[in-house]
Amino acid sequence: MSILCNLIKKLLIAGGSFFAVTFVVYFFNLDMKLTSKIEPFLIKHYDTMPRNTYL
Amino acid sequence: MVVKAENYNRPGDKQLGVLFDGGKVRKRREWRGLKDTLYDYGRWLHIMSILAKFIAKPRNIKAMFRYRWMANYLATPHMIDKFTMGLRDEPLRIVHTSMDFVVYDVASTLDNIFRGDRRTGNDVEYSKKCVLSDENAMTAFMMGFPTVHAILREVPCMFVANLLTQYSSTHYLDVAQQAGIPGDVCPMPEAEAGTSIDDDFAVLGCCAVQVNTTCDGSLMGNGIIAKRLEREYGIPTFQLLAPMRHREEDVQKYAAEDMKKAIAFVEEHSGEKWDWTAYFESAKRVNDATRKRMAWLEINSTPYPQFVGAPFSLYNDTNYMGNCGRSKLFPPVDAKLLALAQQGYEAKRMMAPEYRHRCIVWGVQPQYCIDMLNWMVHCWGVVPLTDMLSMINTKMIAEEDTPENREQAYYDMAWLNENMIMRNRTHGGYKVLVSELWEFCDMMHADMVMLWEHMSCKALDGMHGQFEEQARERGIHLVWVCHDLCDPRVYTRQAIRNQFNDYMRTVMREEPLDPSIEILPDDNAW
Amino acid sequence: MKDLKHLLYFENLLQNADNELVQQAKSEGKICVAYVCENTPEPLMNLGNAFSVRLRAPRTDSMEISTYYMTSFLCEYTRALLERAIEGGFNFADGIIAPDGCTMINRCVENMELLHTMGEGNKKFFFSNMEIPLKDDDNGVELAILQCKNHILAPLHDSYGIDISDASIRKAVKEHNRVCELIRAIGEYRKGDKPRITGYEFHVLTLATYVAPKYLVIDKLEETLKELKTRKPENKEYRARVVLVGSEMDDSDFIKLIEDTGAYVCADRFCYGSLPGRDPIELNDDEDALTQVCRHYVHSCQCPRMMNMEKVYGRKQYVNDLAKEYGADGIIYEQVKFCDPWAYERTLGSTMLRDDFGYPVLSVDRPYSINSSVGQMRTRVQAFVESIEIKKLRGGAK
Repeated sequence: MSILCNLIKKLLIAGGSFFAVTFVVYFFNLDMKLTSKIEPFLIKHYDTMPRNTYL
Repeated sequence: MVVKAENYNRPGDKQLGVLFDGGKVRKRREWRGLKDTLYDYGRWLHIMSILAKFIAKPRNIKAMFRYRWMANYLATPHMIDKFTMGLRDEPLRIVHTSMDFVVYDVASTLDNIFRGDRRTGNDVEYSKKCVLSDENAMTAFMMGFPTVHAILREVPCMFVANLLTQYSSTHYLDVAQQAGIPGDVCPMPEAEAGTSIDDDFAVLGCCAVQVNTTCDGSLMGNGIIAKRLEREYGIPTFQLLAPMRHREEDVQKYAAEDMKKAIAFVEEHSGEKWDWTAYFESAKRVNDATRKRMAWLEINSTPYPQFVGAPFSLYNDTNYMGNCGRSKLFPPVDAKLLALAQQGYEAKRMMAPEYRHRCIVWGVQPQYCIDMLNWMVHCWGVVPLTDMLSMINTKMIAEEDTPENREQAYYDMAWLNENMIMRNRTHGGYKVLVSELWEFCDMMHADMVMLWEHMSCKALDGMHGQFEEQARERGIHLVWVCHDLCDPRVYTRQAIRNQFNDYMRTVMREEPLDPSIEILPDDNAW
Repeated sequence: MKDLKHLLYFENLLQNADNELVQQAKSEGKICVAYVCENTPEPLMNLGNAFSVRLRAPRTDSMEISTYYMTSFLCEYTRALLERAIEGGFNFADGIIAPDGCTMINRCVENMELLHTMGEGNKKFFFSNMEIPLKDDDNGVELAILQCKNHILAPLHDSYGIDISDASIRKAVKEHNRVCELIRAIGEYRKGDKPRITGYEFHVLTLATYVAPKYLVIDKLEETLKELKTRKPENKEYRARVVLVGSEMDDSDFIKLIEDTGAYVCADRFCYGSLPGRDPIELNDDEDALTQVCRHYVHSCQCPRMMNMEKVYGRKQYVNDLAKEYGADGIIYEQVKFCDPWAYERTLGSTMLRDDFGYPVLSVDRPYSINSSVGQMRTRVQAFVESIEIKKLRGGAK
């Protein structure tokens, strides 16, 4: 019984933490703020790639 | 007639302008009150899970580094935020149900593309069962090939990419113009041609079926793409035709005969035989989707429209054109959307405190600004009842497997092909483009038409004067909103919205419902 | 060279859509069938009492009204036609046949219809829109036959009682072929180092056969052909021989501009040109004439709207064949501004003719009337001609 209670307690803490972290990311738009910082590096990479430009 | 919401009290952010700070992405997400914020958060997690599953596959990461247009998919959740701005209750759920499913569908498409792509996944056996299809093509010819995969490889490169970020197509337009294609042609086929010239398409498939829809530009751009497919990659192509005068009886046999040839071509190259059982099952799903779409339109004809705006248009595009009855996943989504729409209608749910005008949106939308339809509701109280791309086939096709219906099936598939989104209006004579618009205004009790004037769309531009004169005769407010489809350098988002703002202020003499979003600092935004 | 006897006559004829030969035919009680696209089988509009006129709008300056109706993004040819129609310049027509060849020509004619620009006072006037094949195959030929029956022959017969029998079609083909044979024979004088006819002169003659009743131009063409047999060519070397390829071209001043730079337009592969527009139609007695006429138009069509890849590649091969046959040093690809089909065809064509067939290529777009853009075009053409000269001097391959 106590193992079960411990498990439930751990799950609640984990779930709560997951919710808190992800909700902060969600609400403050941190996911998009991060990916918007990645984009310029990708663009630079594409610009330097060799291309077989051909009609 | 102005419709005011009874006891309208939108929980959460009242002034939507607070979300914008002029940056690439929004300052934060919208607070919608506890219930709807938690709902939206849950859907965000769902989107994240789709994206996580996608990037868990190494071939998809490889694709991210190989194909320029893949960078746009970094903005996927941002796109959803655009379409859900200001929404609560059933309208919010309708948008999430439809658009989250579209995201799932596009992610699946991408996954399939990269699985077979010679440069990334290179699953040769899988690729042998893939048939490339155009972006603007009905996939009706694949309805009887349950074991062959229709790969609409242009859709994620151009059509969807420009929903995500506004500058997604500019590089390819520049490449195409550098190769000599003039800048006045429609940017959609031009960008497709540019992608091909830049060697930025995935390469897979046993064969390719191209269609002359939507227009002259698509027809011609196919030649450039096919040349590379055939001569460089050894992928044979078939050009499936859709007659221009598609409402005439005397072109239907022509179209049906070519449909037979297209099917024979796929059989020859894929090694799979046409399956009539699968076809008629797909046909049933097509009819079911048609009935649902008509039901949504019926609800939108009431004072309390529910499934409206960009999601309505985009979901119809995906279901009607990209899917065309082939997938079993769509009907439950359709059913859920209808249930939500009915629920919202019965609850008299509105997206704004008042609906001052009921608007039919006609013409072709600027992809990077299609969320303007949502903005119209919140800023000006103008509700978009439907759009031109959603006014498609309403005819039921044969769905029972009989010898007569097997012959009729070719005509049905040809009919669907001819009635591809957008094309069924821009071609076929002025009746389908101009005259029927007024019929829809009557049917849906619209007092306003917002006409997206895609400046490079010769089919639409050619009727400019007729639209003006006939709208005037009927006393319908016609708001011209010019743009260049997917090139924000020609018309920025604010320049597009300003055309609407100017009309509302100077002609209608109205003040915005939400002045904080009349001018949005999104020139630098994704 | 000595002036051709009838050149001035034909030049004057081309100054008006409602030219004196059209008026003469009308006064003889003939029915004028207007059309707007090279994909319409000409002989079928010249049956019995009918004669065909391909519409053009010479001396167009302002297109303001048509631009209001169609916006400035549509091709200038279509806007010029609509402008002229609104001005009443096409009221000589008794009917108009418009294939849905391209979106713009379709919109042009639809606007003509909605604005009631033609047929005033003529209850029999008809607007007939038709489908034309998109591919060169048997299915396309069958479509062409059905469309011609429904949208050319039926309105002619029903409105004006025109004889649309097989015999009537054969007779019209015979007259059509006579014109074609004359034009092609005249065109042969463009070959060789010392051509006896300039590209400009040839274009004037060819244009006349599109815009005037054929039976009224045959005698003058026969005389011209006779003249050319003894005409002494100019004792000058042209700087470059070029094939002109492209969209509709009913402005001979454009050809004159090219030839003023010292180049010679040796072949005309454009809409309103002789290749393939003036290829004779061979008929046999084994099959009905209508089928054979339709098959000819479908197979010989060089319009970029033909989308099967055999045709896409075939059009470039055709240009290459013409360049060889007429001894061309280079190719000029031209399009009317804002023409979508030729925008792409020009791009792909000029690339393939350069890369695959090794020709120097100039690729330009032009206004409907070249007079609004003479300086720019002259500069482009001059530079192109000089580049060909330099190549020749260096002994380079073409």
